[in-house]
Amino acid sequence: MLSIFVLLLRIFLMIVLFSFLVWTIYTLWRDLKIQSQILLTKKIPIISLYSESDPSLEKVTFSKAEVSIGRDDSCDIPLTEETISNRHARLTYRHMHWWVEDLLSTNGTYLNDERVETPTILITGDELRIGKTILVIDIQPVE
Amino acid sequence: MNLAAVFLFVGCVILTFAPAVRFHTWQVEYRWQQWVGFVVWLFGFSFVYRQANRFLPDRDPYLLPIISLMVGWGLLTIFRLDPVFGYRQTIWLSICLAGFIIGLRIPGLLSILRRYKYIWLTLGLLLTLFTFFYGTYPGGKGPNLWLGCCGIYLQPSEFLKFLLIIYLAAYLADSLPSKFRLIRLLTPTLLVAGSALLILIAQRDLGTAFLFIALYAVVIYLASGKRRVLLFSFITVLCALIAGYLIFDVIQLRIEAWLNPWLDPNGRSFQIVQSIISVANGGIFGRGIGLGSPGVIPIAHSDFIFPSIVEETGLFGAVALVILYAFFTIRGFSVSLHAPNQFQRFLAAGITAFIITQSILIMGGTIRLLPLTGVTLPFISYGGSSLVTSFFSAMLLMIISNQAEDQPAVIYQSKPYLFIGTVFLAGLVTIVVLTTWWIVVRADGLLARNDNPRRFISDQYVQRGKILDRNNKILAETLGEPGNYTRVLHYPPLSAVVGYSNSNYGQGGLEASMDAVLRGVQGNSLFTIFSTRLLAAQYPVGLDIRLSLDLQLQQIADSLMQTKKGGLVLLNAETGEVLVMSTAPSFDSNSLQTNWETWKASDDSPLLNRVTQGQYPPGAATGGLVLAQMLARATLPVSIPSANWSVSQNESDYCAVFPGANPTWEKLISSGCTAALTMINKSIQPTEMFSFYQQIGFFDQPDIPVESVELVTQKFVETYNSLFTGGSDLLVSPLQVAVAAASLSNGGMIVSPQIATAYLSPNDVWLLFPAKNAPLQLTATNSDAAAALLSSGTFPGWEILAVAKTESGKVDWYVAGTPPEWQGTPLTIVVALENSTPRAAQNIGRQVFNAAIN
Repeated sequence: MLSIFVLLLRIFLMIVLFSFLVWTIYTLWRDLKIQSQILLTKKIPIISLYSESDPSLEKVTFSKAEVSIGRDDSCDIPLTEETISNRHARLTYRHMHWWVEDLLSTNGTYLNDERVETPTILITGDELRIGKTILVIDIQPVE
Repeated sequence: MNLAAVFLFVGCVILTFAPAVRFHTWQVEYRWQQWVGFVVWLFGFSFVYRQANRFLPDRDPYLLPIISLMVGWGLLTIFRLDPVFGYRQTIWLSICLAGFIIGLRIPGLLSILRRYKYIWLTLGLLLTLFTFFYGTYPGGKGPNLWLGCCGIYLQPSEFLKFLLIIYLAAYLADSLPSKFRLIRLLTPTLLVAGSALLILIAQRDLGTAFLFIALYAVVIYLASGKRRVLLFSFITVLCALIAGYLIFDVIQLRIEAWLNPWLDPNGRSFQIVQSIISVANGGIFGRGIGLGSPGVIPIAHSDFIFPSIVEETGLFGAVALVILYAFFTIRGFSVSLHAPNQFQRFLAAGITAFIITQSILIMGGTIRLLPLTGVTLPFISYGGSSLVTSFFSAMLLMIISNQAEDQPAVIYQSKPYLFIGTVFLAGLVTIVVLTTWWIVVRADGLLARNDNPRRFISDQYVQRGKILDRNNKILAETLGEPGNYTRVLHYPPLSAVVGYSNSNYGQGGLEASMDAVLRGVQGNSLFTIFSTRLLAAQYPVGLDIRLSLDLQLQQIADSLMQTKKGGLVLLNAETGEVLVMSTAPSFDSNSLQTNWETWKASDDSPLLNRVTQGQYPPGAATGGLVLAQMLARATLPVSIPSANWSVSQNESDYCAVFPGANPTWEKLISSGCTAALTMINKSIQPTEMFSFYQQIGFFDQPDIPVESVELVTQKFVETYNSLFTGGSDLLVSPLQVAVAAASLSNGGMIVSPQIATAYLSPNDVWLLFPAKNAPLQLTATNSDAAAALLSSGTFPGWEILAVAKTESGKVDWYVAGTPPEWQGTPLTIVVALENSTPRAAQNIGRQVFNAAIN
């Protein structure tokens, strides 16, 4: 009699243990879902880059969160200068700002004539110098 | 969090009632001690939870519940194993919880750790160094890894692991601004390698040394993203392992026990074998908290806590525990990836790697995935230093995870984190797979092993079946109170036959061969067996068995044999039932504890059952059978050899007893005159004789559930001429002679002997054991005529006396049986005495025989 009672307790014990695990998995999954939904609803301010010195470069506009600059063809902004590294710099949108980040390039990236050592926030009108190319930033605020 | 509390509450309730289930009664001492631990755990963690909400509102929400569940589960298991350790662990837990709360209030704890990294490391190294001089082992004799004072013992190497992580994280964060250079790693490499080597050499602590190198490799790899770091460390560990194997006994022992544990299961690989048996005993559902026997593994509360948990909560528990560690891995690395700066990132990753590597090491060690290393299972094992270290690590992890604004530092490479995380998770999955394998595939074989003490533990709580004689007189039964049952043999001279079932000496005789029935796992319905195993982790109540032995005749035989050395067996010639099986000298299975060694060393070998294990040359004892064969061919020479028959063993015309003047053939044979038999034998080809002996079963052991020996006979044909004097290499047991001779009283039928005849089924009906072999009719043999010829004089049957030479002297045979025209139960008796006289054998045999037929 008692042993059956204890058996029921043992089964209950396992149920509780696994409900703990299921609860953990469920909340983890829910967090993930909410986070991805938040990310979906977040709108990225459109960034445009154009060159004042070199009119041959057309004004380029991006609505995604990551823009790469370099000599490589796969880059979003391919620049064909010899002083520019294959993957030279990266513009990323996070924490409500656009950031510029040097990808360990040989000759460095300069923002308003200062070398970019750590990721730095960009605002409209900033001048980004890569090699000899100077790119002007234009960020359109989100409505 | 609340679910964790419910889990522990239920666990505590189960443990409280566990003794009652074991003893099958309510009048037991219930276990209350674990409630102390539960209360401390409950209040401690609720307080910590509230404090954490206050100081770390944005921490990772999963870490604290996971840790609280693991700590509580561990505490419960420790209380279940040994309440003394449980109380100590409770004290340590309170210290840890208090430390946790204080640690939360220290602002900038992380930067303090970072800034004074060299001080911490030096302190750690110094403390570890102290153990070389002042090290002790709290349990008495063992590795000196502890520093102790006033009843409190600390294991500095535990702290050192942790301090090393802090140092590495701080160093790498400071010296790796953007580019990675191997030369920068020189200092930490030397430090780590030095301390690991020191620990390995001076303390033979394989686990900690390995952990050092593994942690170092993981942290550097995460920081640099260079796989060759892992490869290099792996090679280093392998080299260290091989070097350690060649130099140190301890490491050699561990590795050998890992590679081949079955070679020395009672010595060097005792721990690992017991650990695996324990896991196997757990099964899928577990034996229930407080109902298993994990206490039989040495240091179950510390290193071997994983098998203890698996034994009592089964595969389900094992899977749950591993999932908890997997959660910890995932959350740990996610904290690391979200850390605001490199130092905190490396620190979080290092801490996670430390906890998980150590868990995999010891869990894998206990299920033979890896060599056994003496590290603890973090959060669960008993051990103050281990608990403090794990708690402090967890606290740092939570502080790191508490990031108000989500702004992780730049990450150079995320691949290493994924890679290491995958490796850890794969390790955990492997542990589950291997545990499943032990539980599902290997369990039956493992549990049936003789060194599994659980069967004897179960015997103390459950009635074993009785052993009865043919008239239902009790020969052996289980007496005492539940929990303290002992096996008693009421008639000790039968010790060699009935045997023993003893936790120290194993099982012997019928107790061993009929164990399945006596233990109730054979004969009971599968449902009964399954439900008792499931409900109380015990075997069902055993079934009684009935033997063919007749206690009254047995007593007569034993009193006659008392002063002799040899065996006596009385068979029912028709059914093969053994009525008497007496061997002398004998032992007493009730007093194995006091006399085992004496008996084992004795020259008289009292533990031997001479009826089935005695190996004697049959000599002229087979004369009756040879005569029966000759009569069937009708080639008995008409002229009787006249010789000077003598009873002196050196003469060629030797007889066991004097056949009288002008003896007949039958007189010569029944007197054991070897020369007469050899003369007859000349007309029979050795190969014919060989196949005849094969028919009467001289080359096979009788199928009887009592110990017997393997037979070896190779030179039968070469030594054929001395077959009847004892010079042949043919050796048989008295039981074999009896089975063969029974054919003379049974019209030439060979029956297989049987001793256990029936068992009492659960519905109180005696059921017969199925007969093994059908009787075999001897071909070309005239048994009836031979028996009739040999039956003469006053004795109511036929009888043969014989003497055969043995290595250590001689054996005296007396073989007799009822005549063919006998109206009652046909009987055959065989007496074999070592270095006695044929007349003494005849005297004993006749008395038993007469008692049996009257």
